[in-house]
Amino acid sequence: MNSANAATDRRQRFDQLVGTFHQDMYRYAAWLSRDRTVAEDVVQESLLRAWKSLDALRDDGAAKYWLLTIVRRENARYFERRRLETVDVDNLTPAQEVLLSASPDDRTDDMRQAIFRLDDDYREPLVLQVLMGYSTGEIAEMMGLKQGAVLTRLHRARHKLKEEIQAEVPEDLGGTQQKAERQDEVSTDLDGTERKEQIQGDVSTDLGGTKRNDD
Amino acid sequence: MTDCNDDNRNDAIRAKDPAGTLDPELERRILAALKLPVPELSMPELPAIEADKVTVLPTKKRIGTPVWLGLAATVVVAAMLGVRLFDASVTYPSLADEIIAHLDHEPHALRPTDKPVSDRRLGRVVDAELAQFDRSQNLITYANTCTINGKAVPHLVIQGEKGPVTIILMPDEKIDGPQSLAGRSINGVILPVGDGSIAIIGEIGERLERIERNVVSSVKWTST
Repeated sequence: MNSANAATDRRQRFDQLVGTFHQDMYRYAAWLSRDRTVAEDVVQESLLRAWKSLDALRDDGAAKYWLLTIVRRENARYFERRRLETVDVDNLTPAQEVLLSASPDDRTDDMRQAIFRLDDDYREPLVLQVLMGYSTGEIAEMMGLKQGAVLTRLHRARHKLKEEIQAEVPEDLGGTQQKAERQDEVSTDLDGTERKEQIQGDVSTDLGGTKRNDD
Repeated sequence: MTDCNDDNRNDAIRAKDPAGTLDPELERRILAALKLPVPELSMPELPAIEADKVTVLPTKKRIGTPVWLGLAATVVVAAMLGVRLFDASVTYPSLADEIIAHLDHEPHALRPTDKPVSDRRLGRVVDAELAQFDRSQNLITYANTCTINGKAVPHLVIQGEKGPVTIILMPDEKIDGPQSLAGRSINGVILPVGDGSIAIIGEIGERLERIERNVVSSVKWTST
């Protein structure tokens, strides 16, 4: 093995990791920034950073967590530099509209808009759990939160999404009675918050599946 | 349409959610919505990494095992052939460059938290024969032993006003005077302290003067 081979091996290792995790990196960046152009910039910067510090990644089994951590940090840096204003879903930039207009159907489009409108604090743990498959413990570590806080945010995120989706049922299909029933359901949810969080905690802990194995 | 992974995820939800708290249909819709279409990968232009800058992971603790003896023998042979395959002494233009590069190696260290590292952990990292560090003046949230300029040094993180602040104690790195560290979103300094130096790096906007005073007064070299 010579230096050229070492460089080739390094590049192959990098390409393999990027090929495997590029989608996750982009989607995470997109949901963090809510802007396709920003997400692409963040991913580009993240890839550069990952390339330069690839030798610090000792275990490729920890690559996904490592790459997403880089994406998270690059996204923060981007917004620190640009100091972008809070996104108003009713006044979207073209890049934001592109992100939302790519939905395959109305139901997905509605849900995508609802997730888009979630506060950052609620949206990020939801993405990390449902899309990335992390446990609440791993999400807590990544976001620098206590596990209980992650559970609460996940619960509230789902609750808000449920409310938004329920509110989307057209009046002429449901009528007054169905609307009242929906409101009753929401009230029940609110009353049962504590019990549900406990149950959800059990589920959330297990949903992650992915065991981080860094260092 | 759902794929196998979605089915597995739904199975996991059903198995752990007998009370039906999580609505599988809602979970499916959330997952489908989160799966944004991904544009084709556009790889940035990657700078060449020189062969002698390819970092070799620390091996000194395992050097006694037959595997590593074999590797060591390989390195000797390679060196005899004049091939610089494994040069553990990564060269950087300056100490400042190496320290900034090191920050990227441990991004997980830089997270805002109020959870301090244990005394045991801190004691393991800041070897009593190397230095004494009075932790009472700072909330230390990360401690690890890292390699800077070929030497194992304590890498600590404390919480500043703007976010995490990196502290690297280098008892053997003597410098003539303070050196500024500047990055795209960081600022810091390497301060001469006795026969060694201490690097302090925070986010842009972090007021480092107070931290510098605290840190410098908290450290006492014992190795020099």
